[in-house]
Amino acid sequence: MTSAIQRKQHLVAYGFILPFFAVFATMFIAPLAYSGYLSFFAHKLVGGAKFVGFENYVRAFQDPAFLFGLGRTALILLVQVPIMLGLALFFALALDSGRARGSKAVRLLIFLPFAVPGVVAVLMWGYLYGRDFGLTGQITRALGLPPTDFLSDQLILFSIMNIVTWAFVGYNMIILYAALKSIPSELHEAAEIDGASQWRLAWSVKIPMIRPAIFLTIIFSVIGSFQIFNEPKLLVEIAPTAIPQGFTPNFYAFNVAFVNQDINYAAAIAFLLGFVIMIVSYVVQLSMQKREVRW
Amino acid sequence: MRQGARKAAVAITSIAAVAALTLAGCTSSTDPDDNNSPGPDDTGGQITDAQREEALNTPTELTFWTWVPDVQDQVDMFEKQYPEIHVTVENVGQGLDHYSKVRTASKAGTGGPDVVQLEYQFISSFAQTGELLDLTPYGAADLADQYVPWVWKQVLSNDQVLAIPQDSGPMGNLYREDIMNAAGVTEPPATWADYKTAAEKVRANTSSYISNMAPSQGAGWLGLLWQAGVKPFGYDGGQNVTIDVNSPEAKKVMAYWQDMIQNDLVSIDPDFNDEWYQGLNQGKYAGWLTAAWAPVFLSGAAKDTSGLWRAAPLPQWDTSKPASGNQGGSADAVLKTTKNPIAAYELAKWINNAHDPALLFTTQQNFFPTAIAVLEDPVFVDQESDFYGGQQVNKLFAEISTTVDTDWQWLPFMEFAYSSFNETFGAAVAAKGDLAAGLDAWQDALVDYAKQQGFTVNG
Amino acid sequence: MVTAQLNPVTAPPSKPSKSDKRRKAVNRGKRRSNLLTLVMWLSVLYFILPLIWLFMSATKDNSDLFTTFGLWFGHDFNLFANIRDVFAYQDGIYARWALNTGIYAGVAALGATTLATMAGYAFAKYKFPGDKLLFAITLGAIMIPLTALAIPTYLLFSSAHLTNTPWAVILPSLVSPFGVFLMRVYAADAVPDSLMQAARVDGAGEYRIFWTVSLRLLAPGMVTVMLFTFVATWNNYFLPLIMLNSGKLLPLTVGLAQQQATSTAGGGAQALFSTVIAGAFLSIIPLVIVFLYLQRFWQTGLATGGVKG
Repeated sequence: MTSAIQRKQHLVAYGFILPFFAVFATMFIAPLAYSGYLSFFAHKLVGGAKFVGFENYVRAFQDPAFLFGLGRTALILLVQVPIMLGLALFFALALDSGRARGSKAVRLLIFLPFAVPGVVAVLMWGYLYGRDFGLTGQITRALGLPPTDFLSDQLILFSIMNIVTWAFVGYNMIILYAALKSIPSELHEAAEIDGASQWRLAWSVKIPMIRPAIFLTIIFSVIGSFQIFNEPKLLVEIAPTAIPQGFTPNFYAFNVAFVNQDINYAAAIAFLLGFVIMIVSYVVQLSMQKREVRW
Repeated sequence: MRQGARKAAVAITSIAAVAALTLAGCTSSTDPDDNNSPGPDDTGGQITDAQREEALNTPTELTFWTWVPDVQDQVDMFEKQYPEIHVTVENVGQGLDHYSKVRTASKAGTGGPDVVQLEYQFISSFAQTGELLDLTPYGAADLADQYVPWVWKQVLSNDQVLAIPQDSGPMGNLYREDIMNAAGVTEPPATWADYKTAAEKVRANTSSYISNMAPSQGAGWLGLLWQAGVKPFGYDGGQNVTIDVNSPEAKKVMAYWQDMIQNDLVSIDPDFNDEWYQGLNQGKYAGWLTAAWAPVFLSGAAKDTSGLWRAAPLPQWDTSKPASGNQGGSADAVLKTTKNPIAAYELAKWINNAHDPALLFTTQQNFFPTAIAVLEDPVFVDQESDFYGGQQVNKLFAEISTTVDTDWQWLPFMEFAYSSFNETFGAAVAAKGDLAAGLDAWQDALVDYAKQQGFTVNG
Repeated sequence: MVTAQLNPVTAPPSKPSKSDKRRKAVNRGKRRSNLLTLVMWLSVLYFILPLIWLFMSATKDNSDLFTTFGLWFGHDFNLFANIRDVFAYQDGIYARWALNTGIYAGVAALGATTLATMAGYAFAKYKFPGDKLLFAITLGAIMIPLTALAIPTYLLFSSAHLTNTPWAVILPSLVSPFGVFLMRVYAADAVPDSLMQAARVDGAGEYRIFWTVSLRLLAPGMVTVMLFTFVATWNNYFLPLIMLNSGKLLPLTVGLAQQQATSTAGGGAQALFSTVIAGAFLSIIPLVIVFLYLQRFWQTGLATGGVKG
């Protein structure tokens, strides 16, 4: 190849990526840069705006509302994500083993909640959770149990975890299932002939083979956990005292910007949140790599 | 599509330009704070009749943000009166969602409404940020003696008239006569002590609660403080605020309710959600301490219980000085960003002040009137409501309205105040906990915020 | 950022291979497990009971909604009356919301897919200065959730006076870093270099090759990206919530949430529960149909991300 042709190909390639990166720069980089810029100012109701350096960031690290929000997210990461992905993996393996009747229908029905918009899912669960007249109330009453208030401040976090689990198990299951299906079948046929049990087969052949897919679901779940917004925003209408402004960091950024009218501090929180997500994703990635070495 | 693509390109480039400016550090956009700049027509002088005539006979587009259902009917009447003026009614949400939209539109300077619904409690908040047009030059001051005095005071700030009253919510006691009778309570409780006795009877003899005290109903709780003569807030229109939500007087009122709550004499469910509507329908709540807009609202929300309800004044702390507080109620204000202030003012005024639309608000939208003429109109006052067993409920609340204290003030940041109310006092109610400590926590949160925002705080 | 893990491997994503068919034969011969079947179908209940509740509730009026058992019909069958209410509310604004949702999601999906396909194709098939860096930036961007960007984007749009326009919802949705990643992985296998070389020998220009040769091979991957950006935009709530004011511009998500909130409006409140529920029920039907109809695509498409990821 002559360098003229090469140069032409470079130009062609830039032509292909230009539209994406033009939009990417304006819709992704520019907002981040702009909010980074705003985060260095403070705008008071009395007195107007002034440059404050890193003050907003210092404030965030001392702000109990923000820190508790991060804490709730951590709890979701440690409790809800493993449950959700564990279920997804179990269903995917069960379907892949071909031992359950009606697998195809099962697969579609478990996936179905993913097609329900998050807003609708939250509205619906809001009704279901009703203590006296909701479905959970009807069921506990029929069983003679005391009514449980799923919207109380003690339970609301778990109620929200349940909504997220309900909505996303199927999605993760499909990713894992698709990965399982692409394992060359010779591999486990051989193991089965050896008389390995389904459990052993899953543990020592299938799961290691789909590690990239598992990694993908973990990363998506980490990002998703930090994004939680719809649930507190919609449930706060029916459970007003159970959901504080800083329930999740994302919800907090919204409230700081639009209720407390502190755009600059909200920008700092949004920016900080991006950093936290990067760090957590990086840690997840590192720990996956380490484990890979051990295996 | 081509047109669309071009718009998109324009959008992208203008955003890129803003970003570039920002990055170059030569922007003033963090300080769009031209709060105190005069409105378009704010020449200081009064608007003349000729100007008004001209404005009302010029083809004009107005946008009106409100969450009042069926307000289109009043607007239609306005458009019939002034055919040159076309009004677009938009519902952008209610409560805090509505207010944040108003703020952002007003900050952006475009896309906002000309006329906007504001609850009385939020007028100072929007006045503080300089978003409301002073209506005095347009003739609003002349309306003063047409309104109930305590209501009119709510729309004033530093001698400026900032909104036209729409409805109000002097508080009373709605109750289920059948349940009360079953409990052995034959008279509506006259004092709060009587109320507690009645509550005990209701709990003992029926499966109901005498009322539901929703933890997050900030306006209702404040209404009860208002009745008791507590003055938790003060604002001078500038940078001085008074915050005193944990005064001994306030704590005395809340000690009463803490006792009621901890003895399970009232329920503490969140209100206006599906469960609460059912509670009203199915007799879980034998009563409701609420505002004057509630009687008609309730007759729609709890249709199945028609004929069983009655209305009475709030129980009193001191029967020699009957008092009530206010909960809710709205006014219509004009934003400074309007390009048609005269027409916008006329819209806000006409639908609330002209007799026919104002009367329609009371019959169609549940609204309890603020204009003396409507309050005295026999069509309104003498109305007998089947839902309340033929009682003249409007007459009762019209009398209650005269007992509302006129000196109540709000903070200039009620959005934050209510949201922190839920986290502090509201949470204490929900936990059946220490309400005095809840008030203390709320006080601290308010003072912190006020200081952070640069206000001078008087304890 | 994640290059180490997301390294594409060489096996093609999801060819219906011979081994697949053989495996089916093996499965058929396998013993079924009654226990597993039971466990699976019990689990299915958890996922579909709420949806059954939604359907049953959509057939009830307000009073049946709270007084009759949630998983069965009420005293009256009100589905059609409720649907009528849904479309009558505020002069039929629901239809407008549905149309907006379709337009926003459709335009965003088409646009995002176009951008992602071109970029992913270039990353897969061309070497150029800066390609590694730009791709690493794209991968890093996958980590940043769109909602964390929503407020910054809002601030930017607001200072450019572009809020409350359809573009405020559509433009940010055009960026799909994951779509670029997916299309790069997909294009690497789906478009053989030899084919491109042959076309070059025939004298075709690069853009012509893309247009006439590669695009057709990329189609299944594109459908996946399109489907997922479509769903993401269809379901988006945060962005339109903060960007849009005008009721006529709202998508279904924001409209429904706002309608639900009318019950809490104090004096002006309307308890529209059965209308909201019927509206919510109607709003999920299009996506369910799309998913059922395009099963083949999203299942293989997801395999691309997962297998190669």
